[in-house]
Formats: sequence, C-alpha cells, structure tokens
Amino acid sequence: MCRIIKVTGESLTPLFEEGDFVLVLKIPFLSLNSGDTIVFRHDTYGTMIKQIEDISPRNGTVRVIGTHPRSQDSRSFGPVARKDIIGKVIWHIKQKH
Amino acid sequence: MLHKLLQSLDNLFVFEQAKAHCDIPCGIYDPITAQIPALTVVRMLDLMNDLENKAGEKGQEYHNTFTRYVMVKEEHAEKAKHEIRVIWGDYIKAQHIEQHPELPALVHKILQLGSKVRQTIDRQAAVEFVETINQFAEIFWATKNLKTKRAKAPYAPALELVYPDL
Repeated sequence: MCRIIKVTGESLTPLFEEGDFVLVLKIPFLSLNSGDTIVFRHDTYGTMIKQIEDISPRNGTVRVIGTHPRSQDSRSFGPVARKDIIGKVIWHIKQKH
Repeated sequence: MLHKLLQSLDNLFVFEQAKAHCDIPCGIYDPITAQIPALTVVRMLDLMNDLENKAGEKGQEYHNTFTRYVMVKEEHAEKAKHEIRVIWGDYIKAQHIEQHPELPALVHKILQLGSKVRQTIDRQAAVEFVETINQFAEIFWATKNLKTKRAKAPYAPALELVYPDL
C-alpha cells in the first residue's frame, strides 16, 4: 500500500530535489487529479516520478510533466497507462529545508 | 532529521529510486566508463592474492592494505554497474533492443556478476564481468554504426578491452 522511494534526477526541481524521499500510496481506484505527483514505471526509463498534467476522460491515461524545461515526460514518451502507475505521492521528505 | 533517518536506512537497505529524469542532451555515453572499473576489480583481486602470498607477518599494515584493496574492489564493481545502468536507462531505446534482442539478458548478467564480484574473490567471475561488459560495449558501438576492435589494456591486468575502431 505504502512505500518509500528516493528521488533521483532534476526534472522536478525546485519542487523535488535529488535525494529527497517520498511516501507513495497505492490503493485500487485511487483518485488522481491534475497537479498530483505520481510514481510510475516506464519500459525504457524505469521507475519515474512526475506531475500529472491532465487525465484522459476517454481511457484514463495520464499525461505527466516535469518542471524542468528538458524533462523527459509525456511530451517525449506519451501518456502513462493506469496499470503502470505505482502510486501517488502523499508525503514529501525534503533533503534541504 | 527524518530525512537523515531515511538516508541512514537507505544506506542499509537501498530504497527503490524514482527518476525525475531530465535528459540534458549532452549525448556523451561511452561504455569505457564501465570497462575500466571492471578491469580494476580484476586488478584488486590480483593485488589481494599477491599480498596474501607474500611472506611475513600479517599485522596491522597487512590488514590495512588488504582492506583498502577490498574497498576499491567494492567501489569499482558498483561503479561499473552504475555506468551500465545509466547507458541502459538513458541511452538504450526500444529499437536497439529489437536489433539486439540479447541485450536485456546481457545487462542482467552484468549486474548479477557485478554483485558476485563484490561478494566473492572469484577471479574467474571478475574476468567474466569484464568480458560481458566488453560484449555490451560491442553492442553499444554497433548502435552507433561503429566497428569495434579488441586490444589488451596497456596496464595490469592487461585483459582485452573493446574499443571503437575509429
């Protein structure tokens, strides 16, 4: 249900920094909204963390985006399927305060 | 404080990581960054063996030197694994796997050998570690349409390494 995951990379800076930890909640039929931060699996890039830009009302796929201009996200690899979503970030433990 | 606690736990148990991946398109990837650390692992095993077979008392000096060799072996095995993961995650694309379907199994084997050479002093496994990374290098350069050549490294342990034939 819950897991702790460490953030690597910089595409969500300054919101999430390299080395931060997040608590991720996975429950079936979890409601997701634009602006939520999610962790998901991608075939090429592995486990990723991004923000939801929008959700398709047609098939529920999620478009994700990073805050960095050079973020690898749905702009380059397309929407994320629901089945690939590991969970939603419910707690952010920052490295720096 | 909570972050420090989690960091300590991460050092012990290694939490799963999620990439906030930002692909700054420098495009600089080269498997030599994994080949050399793998070679270093073999070198450390040889130095450990030499030290063990040296006559004399096995006192503090011996233990200090032996420990340093083990630490370097650990560090470089992990570095080789890390570099392979970076190329695998950031460079290798689906079309490369279609062209080289043996690649996923090869990467898996490299990562497993990387763990084995940390856990053991099995020189044969370390040589195999170097060789599997060589095979990875051959595929990597093939994805860039570059031929490769094999040549002995100009330093101990003088194993063969794969280089792009430019």
